[in-house]
Amino acid sequence: MDTSSPAVFVNAEILKMYLGRRVRAVIQVMRNDAGVIVGQSTDGNQITVKGAQAFPPAHFVEVIGIADGSQSIRAEICTDFGESFDMTAYNGLCQLANGKFKNLFL
Amino acid sequence: MAAVDLTRGAIAAISEGRVKDGVKPVVQVWEVKLVNTQQSTTERYRMLLSDGAHMQQAMLATQMNGLVKLGTLQKHSIVRLDEFICNVIQNRRIIIIINLEVLVSNSNAIGEPKLYDNGSASQNRVPSPAQSTSADQPVIAAENPQNYGGIHSSTPNIVQNVTRGPSLSPATEAVTTNSSFAGYYGNGVMSSRNTNSVPSEHPKSEQGVGRISESHPNSGYQNQRLSSPASVGAFRPPASSYGHPVQPAYQQPPPMYTNRGPIAKNEAPARIIPIAALNPYQGRWTIKARVTTKGELRRYSNPRGEGKVFSFDLLDSDGGEIRVTCFNMVADQFYDQIEVGKVYLISKGSLKPARKSFNHLNNEYEIFLESQSVIQPCSEEDNTIPRQQFNFRPVNEVEGLENNSMVDVIGIVVSINPSASITRKNGTETNKQTLQLKDMSGRSVEVTFWGNFCSTEGQQLQRMCDSGVYPVLAIKAGRVSDFSGKSIGTIGSSQLFINPDFPEAHRLKDWYNREGKNMSALSISRDTTTMSRNDVVRKTLSQIKDEGLGRSEKPDWITVKATITFVKVDNFCYTACPLMVGDRPCNKKVNNNGDGTWHCDRCDQSFPECDYRYLLQFQIQDHTGMTWVTAFQEGGEEILGVTAKELYLLKYQEQDDLKFAEIIRRVLFHQHLFKLKVKEETFSDEQRVKSTIVKAEKVNPSSESRYLLGLIEKLLTEDPIVVSGMQTFASTSGMSTVAYGMVESNNSVHSVTNNFGINNITLSTTVQEVQIARVNPLEVDSQTVVPTFVLNANNLGIGPVNVRDKVLPHQHMEVVVHQEDTTGNMVGSEILSATGLLPEACSLIVVCEMLVLIAFIPTVMLGSTSVSAN
Repeated sequence: MDTSSPAVFVNAEILKMYLGRRVRAVIQVMRNDAGVIVGQSTDGNQITVKGAQAFPPAHFVEVIGIADGSQSIRAEICTDFGESFDMTAYNGLCQLANGKFKNLFL
Repeated sequence: MAAVDLTRGAIAAISEGRVKDGVKPVVQVWEVKLVNTQQSTTERYRMLLSDGAHMQQAMLATQMNGLVKLGTLQKHSIVRLDEFICNVIQNRRIIIIINLEVLVSNSNAIGEPKLYDNGSASQNRVPSPAQSTSADQPVIAAENPQNYGGIHSSTPNIVQNVTRGPSLSPATEAVTTNSSFAGYYGNGVMSSRNTNSVPSEHPKSEQGVGRISESHPNSGYQNQRLSSPASVGAFRPPASSYGHPVQPAYQQPPPMYTNRGPIAKNEAPARIIPIAALNPYQGRWTIKARVTTKGELRRYSNPRGEGKVFSFDLLDSDGGEIRVTCFNMVADQFYDQIEVGKVYLISKGSLKPARKSFNHLNNEYEIFLESQSVIQPCSEEDNTIPRQQFNFRPVNEVEGLENNSMVDVIGIVVSINPSASITRKNGTETNKQTLQLKDMSGRSVEVTFWGNFCSTEGQQLQRMCDSGVYPVLAIKAGRVSDFSGKSIGTIGSSQLFINPDFPEAHRLKDWYNREGKNMSALSISRDTTTMSRNDVVRKTLSQIKDEGLGRSEKPDWITVKATITFVKVDNFCYTACPLMVGDRPCNKKVNNNGDGTWHCDRCDQSFPECDYRYLLQFQIQDHTGMTWVTAFQEGGEEILGVTAKELYLLKYQEQDDLKFAEIIRRVLFHQHLFKLKVKEETFSDEQRVKSTIVKAEKVNPSSESRYLLGLIEKLLTEDPIVVSGMQTFASTSGMSTVAYGMVESNNSVHSVTNNFGINNITLSTTVQEVQIARVNPLEVDSQTVVPTFVLNANNLGIGPVNVRDKVLPHQHMEVVVHQEDTTGNMVGSEILSATGLLPEACSLIVVCEMLVLIAFIPTVMLGSTSVSAN
């Protein structure tokens, strides 16, 4: 298992801190444009995902890729989480994972 | 010896009631005959007394029986009548001799007496013309109360108005014939309390009077002036006798009665006695009281069968209270008649000792009504009977009361919490609402409403408090409990009154408005903030042992999140009785009769088909430890997903072991949220803590995540956060504080990076990785492998072999480090010793778990095949 470049759990806020790095985020699909997904991140802000296929709106999608903008991710892997997902819990995780417990994750 | 003269004309005089006080006529006993009473075994002697000229029937008081037996008193004895009465019974005049003295035992017959015939021996009615003893004229001789029919003013009333007291509505029910009664000398109408004066004299005479053989119904004895108290001896008034009931003339043969007194054969004007005077030895009684509370018509079933019962409480004008209970048919009979707040006249119930566990009234007895009992509603209001009786105690006194004692309190509701649903000790759910009640003593107490009180009074009080009004609340029959200091809770028969119209309530309100509002009251109940979160107490498995759960008297109810690691497959179920007992199935283990039927011991029946109920034992583990638990039917079905019967058939009938194993295996290593009941039990001399599964739930990732987030939050805020840019876990819980820089002492805790060249420091640190590396084989025995611990992103040294086993990745440990001189890189340090897992590690573990859970979510959502547990 390749642990050389772990993906950081991010939401829109934290994404900014990891530009150029591999990140993962769960977003709720708001709309699909050609090859681009625009979705809402777990803290309520918007994230754009490039290079991803289309997903049904209102579904939750996990995106793993490189952060290439303060609000965008260049997707490598996308997974559909379905229609129900606890955003608050995930957000809490993002905050903990990048805060006090960062060393556990990175 | 004829020396003793018989009093001439005595018989006539006696019969006519002309014997003066103090006169003790001397007569001769013409005959003595033993009469056997029908229903009692007492012997009574009937005699004929003669004064030489006339004879009259007489009855001898039983205390005189000895004289006859001994032979002192015999035919032709001459006696002096010291105390006697003359009464008319069934048209015959009888002299009742209460006390006599035998002057001459053996004598010759004197004279030729003829039976005295007092033509006007009439019944009880209006006094016969000849003897117009009018009401107010006391009998001629105090000793000779001769009232044959001399009924007085009251009598006519009574007689005509058979059994009716003026203010009472008739009680018309059947006559009871079996009890003995204190007769009563009502002076006229029986009103509730004026009989007090009467009994003192009467009881004695009543006793005497009562000694008539049962063949004679008693005429009403309006005997106000009965025999001298001196002759009390034999008479002891029944505990609270209030005289005899008046006997209106009856043609029927009287029922037998015992020595006590005449038996009322019909509803003589009921004389009302105070409730406080009721006792089982009381003869006839009637009480007039108001219903203060009425219970529900409850059905029950016990080994003797089924039945229904209902009770109500009575309060009379003297403040006496008593509970009345009716069973089965009687319950049906009276249930609809009884209304709270109305006044009734009740008689002919039986009195038994009160059942203190249910009955909290201040009375040793309880009334049980039978089919012949009488309940008459009183149509007019009786203001002397209060609506409700309270015995309010100030709150500060409640503190001194015993646990489980009953109390009435009144106070101002100063705060109230919303009602919550909680699980009681026996597992059932109910509603609970708490409020604080304050009163003039300056103290406040927590009052808990249970069950229906929450939805009724609780809601009302809540609304009132929310709108800023602080209402007065009076509680009757609240139970004091020593839960969190002293508090008061409602029980089934408690009564609540909001802003009642009592003087105490008004006083309280005034006090509150004036000063109470501003006074801070000391609560005698401790604040129970721990119970706020729906009573879900989350524990880890190791805490069961560490905290000694289940060891106290009551079982502990906890929730744990754990994984099933092993299921015991032998005896996973038992054969149970399917019959209903009350509204629950019996469920007792049944025995196989051998012929295909099953027999239950408790129900004592056999039946062809039994139920199969789970009795699963399995082992669960969490990150702290493991334990064995037992699951019964509900838990078992929840976990395995199949009914016990299915599983049983699968295994034993279809012998499908494969499928059986599959089902069992399916549940292994699944994490559940278990609600456990932990209790220590004694098994043949040894104490073991047993855990039973009450409920088993699948873990809901979402809610569990939130729970964990909360937990993390809590753990974080407990730690003083020491941040030096490095993520060191230095927690103060139980350990010394973190210090930075050079510290010489051995036991201080340092952040890893700040140690330079210091020997033997104790660090609190986290193991990141354990690498087993071989060190220079020349230096170390070739068989030892020395682990390297990577701590905190920095390599830290080599540990001695014995440490290796204790150390696991992510384990939080305290290490004593012997450090070589380095430039900050700890390579080369040697760990001298390590001590194990510290609580702080839990937070790490929790975070890890959460991470894992988050990972679970997508798979769960996608419904993918089972993911292996952590």
